[in-house]
Parts: sequence; structure tokens; C-alpha cells
Amino acid sequence: MPRQRIVIDPVTRIEGHAKISLHLDEQGRVEEAYFHVTQFRGFEKFCEGRPFYEMPSLMARICGICPVSHLIASAKACDAILAVRIPETAVRLRTILNLGQIVQSHALSFFYLSSPDLLLGMDSDPAQRNIFGVIEAHPEIAKDGIRLRQFGQQVIEWLAGKRIHPAWVAPGGVNEPLTAANRDRILAAMPEALAIARRTLDWFKTGMERFREEIRTFANSPTLFMGLVNGKGGLEFYDGKLRFLDAGGHVVQDGIAGADYAAHIGELAHPWTYLKTSFYKPLGYPEGVYRVGPLARLNIIDGCDTPLASQEWAEFRELDRGAVLSSFHYHYARLVEILYALEKIEQLLHAPDILDPNVRAIASANQSEGVGVAEAPRGTLMHHYKVDRDGLIVWANLIIATGHNNAAMNRGVLQVARHFVQGNKLTEGMLNRVEAVIRAFDPCLSCSTHADGHLALEVALHAHDGALLDSLKN
Amino acid sequence: MGSAPPFMSRILIIGYGNPLRGDDAFGWRVAERLLELEHDPAVDILCLHQIVPELMDPLSRADFAIFIDACAGDEPGAMVERRIEPQSAGAAPFTHHATPEALLAGARTLYGRAAEAVMISVAGADFSLGSELSPPVASRLDEVVTTVLRLIATRCTLLP
Repeated sequence: MPRQRIVIDPVTRIEGHAKISLHLDEQGRVEEAYFHVTQFRGFEKFCEGRPFYEMPSLMARICGICPVSHLIASAKACDAILAVRIPETAVRLRTILNLGQIVQSHALSFFYLSSPDLLLGMDSDPAQRNIFGVIEAHPEIAKDGIRLRQFGQQVIEWLAGKRIHPAWVAPGGVNEPLTAANRDRILAAMPEALAIARRTLDWFKTGMERFREEIRTFANSPTLFMGLVNGKGGLEFYDGKLRFLDAGGHVVQDGIAGADYAAHIGELAHPWTYLKTSFYKPLGYPEGVYRVGPLARLNIIDGCDTPLASQEWAEFRELDRGAVLSSFHYHYARLVEILYALEKIEQLLHAPDILDPNVRAIASANQSEGVGVAEAPRGTLMHHYKVDRDGLIVWANLIIATGHNNAAMNRGVLQVARHFVQGNKLTEGMLNRVEAVIRAFDPCLSCSTHADGHLALEVALHAHDGALLDSLKN
Repeated sequence: MGSAPPFMSRILIIGYGNPLRGDDAFGWRVAERLLELEHDPAVDILCLHQIVPELMDPLSRADFAIFIDACAGDEPGAMVERRIEPQSAGAAPFTHHATPEALLAGARTLYGRAAEAVMISVAGADFSLGSELSPPVASRLDEVVTTVLRLIATRCTLLP
């Protein structure tokens, strides 16, 4: 049997465009597997020359799912350029906005994109294995998913004026204070959202046993984990310091200021994908591969400061003695985070100064460089800008959650493919599992494909028998 | 009708498409124009990039819905107005795409009812990057706005 290549193109139910190629040896066993991101954006280049204060609005256009994350990371980088400390109420309002986005984006990932696999089965009819199939087979769950996503979007709209690409977050704070009417509208809708989050966790945990094989093989390997933690080592989405944890659950490095990320995180480009790969510099690549996002966040923290999520987190951590390693558990972690986000929004809305009209610090550019770091739904998001004397952008670098996860996703694809795919007998369910491991990470490819100053590109010329005739690299 | 609570309007207008993709902006442009002209609180008008499952809820609350979109294939500028019925999505490999019929079917499954609905589509000539409509499509803008206003007026008079 000659060597073969299986291509899954496109990968479905993810944000953006990608394909997977599996390379088989003579016996039909999977030898290599690649997750290729086939789209290219280039935001870092075309923002050069723009005034820094335009960056939050420009950068929000990177994504229609998580524009709020880009707004916030970008505004934080601009705060650093202004060299101001923004009002505490503005911090709280930005945090609520970010948490609203966590809810809507996690609901999208869990209910719309992954629940078809979880509820209808990995081997179910692919024509029905989508949100419309879930609506037919499990209407109450589908209704919950739609309602929860609506709630998250509504929080964003009530705070920031519109659901997608709001302009409310600005360098120095936010543009308008929260009104009492909008605070009360969010609080009034909260009990229903909390009830949905709790019953979703209940049915998910009850059914998890059916996925033992997927849990065992979905990117279930030792890596580092990274994310922000607050001053008490707790769950944090807006501020805090970076922490690296190893697979055994030991803190490798703690207290890293966002502005110092470049000393600890390296980036490299592969010729077969537009997505950059990040790694922990002290260990180099590939030893320094790490994961970010819901699974990583729940692994790295010492606890969370809301009562219901705290209980769920404790139960979640019992899955493993050290860090929870299986990427299948991204789904579980996502649900715990939804619960946390709802509770935290409620806490923050009850803060005595939440309606304070002082929500923005006004200044000119006082620094030539700024870094903004926040937790996006899919993981840690970093925006780094340099400006000239006129405040015009001369250089920008973005590290997006999906880039942090790139190496781990590729390892996961290889692990799943080796376990489920046999080249001489392919089934759709096998290939769906290869896609499903990617879905577990909830990658956002439109967010994560940027320039790092060097575009890795390789063109290969193959003869009809597959022999490589020539190749060219830039 | 007094001040309508969110999504409680009886008529729902959904103009959708990408406003930066040439003629794909047609539905969006019509909805924008309607927002300027139509102020009845019983009428909700949405400009959307795409139609998504969250619309099932408002579609179940409305009595009548009008979808406005650009389409490909016919003579540029050709306009079609047709009644649409709930119809399940069937094979849908791309979950970023939903049809109005599938959303109506979902509304009926999840919430027990779906609005009566019509679809007004105009064939586009150019869907490349840009914010301008091509001449044959732009020439249909006033006609479609008038058609939608006529449909609203007709339906409003039929409402109790």
C-alpha cells in the first residue's frame, strides 16, 4: 500500500477556515497530522501609521465573535501608552463587558458547535449533526443555548450600545457610565441565565461517562498551562499576572506582568500554516508547548471567588491528581466559566460605585509602548503597540489564544488520528473525531492569523506519482 | 400599541447581507432606509450580517416577517417576492449558514409558533469588496422599500 494523505477540508463548526491533513505510512497507520490554517489577515501590518487611539475600534474588527476581547486588550495597551490609571468603575464595567462576552461566546461554542457531537453522537448522521439537529432532537437544550447566548449578547448591548463591534471601550476607560435601568435589566435576567448554566452542567456531567475514549485521546498529553490569575491566585479575566503551570499541577513561574510577556513567550512560524505557534521560552520549542483557555484557566488557579462556580471548580479539579490534561474537558471548563461569569457579573453590578459617572481618564500619549493583556473566551489575549512622537503606530504584535494553543492542537490531532483512523477503513465518525478535538479548543482562526513580520510560505511541486520535484521557501 | 417590549412587535423586518461586499449589502440598505421611514412600534427592523438561530425567538413572537436579501444567479436586478414556509435545515455542513425557512422551522419547534413570512430577494451583479451597489441592484432599492411599506400597511390593517 503506498503512502497516502487524507485531507479534511474544511474543518466544520469552528470560527474561521482550516483544513487537516493526515499522512499515512505503507501500513495505513497515521504517521503525521497537521492542522493547517488557510486564511491570512495581517492586522499588525495595516494598522501601522494609524493613531493609537483608533486601535481599539480597528482591532475589534478582527473578530465578530469576540470583538469585546480585542477592544479590551487593545484599550489596555492604549491605557499604558497614556500612562494613566483608569477609574475603578471603568475597570468593573470593562470586566462585566468581558464576562458578558465569555457567556455568549462559550454558549456559542458549547451549544451551537459542539453539542451536536455530545448530544447526537460522534458517529451520528452528519446531515443532522448540527444545531438544527439538536433543535429537532433536544429542543429544551437548544432553547437553553440560544437563551444563554442571547443573555451574553444582551449584556454587551445594554452596556456598550450594540452586540458586535461596540465603540464603548476607549483608551482611559469607557465612554459612558452604566445607567440604573440597564443595571436592573441585567440583574432581572440573571436568575434565568444562572438556572440554565446550572442545569447544563448537570446534564453534561451526567453524560460524560459516554465519552471515555474521547477523554482519553483528545489532546490528552502533558503540556504546560498559562493564563492570568488575580492577586489571590484566583480566576481572573480582566487583569492580574501571568502564571505557568506544569502537567503535574506545579507552578512553573508566577507573577509575570503582562508587559513582560516577550521575555517568557516565544513565537515561531511553520511553512504549512498561517497560524503562529507560541511556546514558553525558558523551555524552548517543543518542550515549552502550553495550553490556554478554559481548561488552562481552571488548572492554573487556586480557586474562584463566587460560590457556585467555586463548588464546580473543586469538583472539576478532582478529574485528575495534577492538572486536568484531556482537552475534551475544555467543554466542562467552559460551562464552569459560564457559571462563574454570571455570578461575577451579578457581584460587580452590586458594587456601590457601579453607576459612578467618572469612567474615563483623559490624557495624551505619554509612553512610546504599551501592552494590554486580558483573558478572551479562548484564552490569553495580548496586544502590544509601539508609537512614534505623534502617537502613530509604528509596530504592533498580537498573540491570540488560538496561537498559544496551536502546538497543542496539532499534537491533539495526531493523537486522535492515530487512535481512531486506520487508512484502509475510513468512516465519517473517525474523521469527525479528528475535527472534534479541534472544536474542543474552540479555535478562532479569524482572530489568530496575523503577521509576525515574517510570513512563512512553502510551495511544493509534486509529480503525478507524488514525488517531490521542487520546493521553494521564503 | 404602546411602547412594545423587546421582540414583541407584530411585524419583523430582517434585511441581511455583508455591507462591504457590493450587492450583498442590498438587504441591509433596504432595512436602513426603512429605519428612517417606518416608526410604528409594532414593526421591528433589523440590519444583520447574517441570520442566526437567535432569530427563532423573535420569529415566534411576530405575526409577519419579511426577509430581504441579495441572491446570485438570476439576471442582475431581478426581483422575486415569495411566501416562505418553515422547513427543517436538512444537510447543513456549514453551521455558519442558516436559511429563513430553517429559522421558521426552529421557531415552531422551540417556541410553538412561527410568523408568516415572505422573502424578497434581488439578484446581485457584483459581490466583490466594496460598499456600493451595482446600478441594476441600486435601481431596485426604492421599489423594494415601497413594496415592504405596502406589505407592512396591509398587514397592520389586518391586525386586531
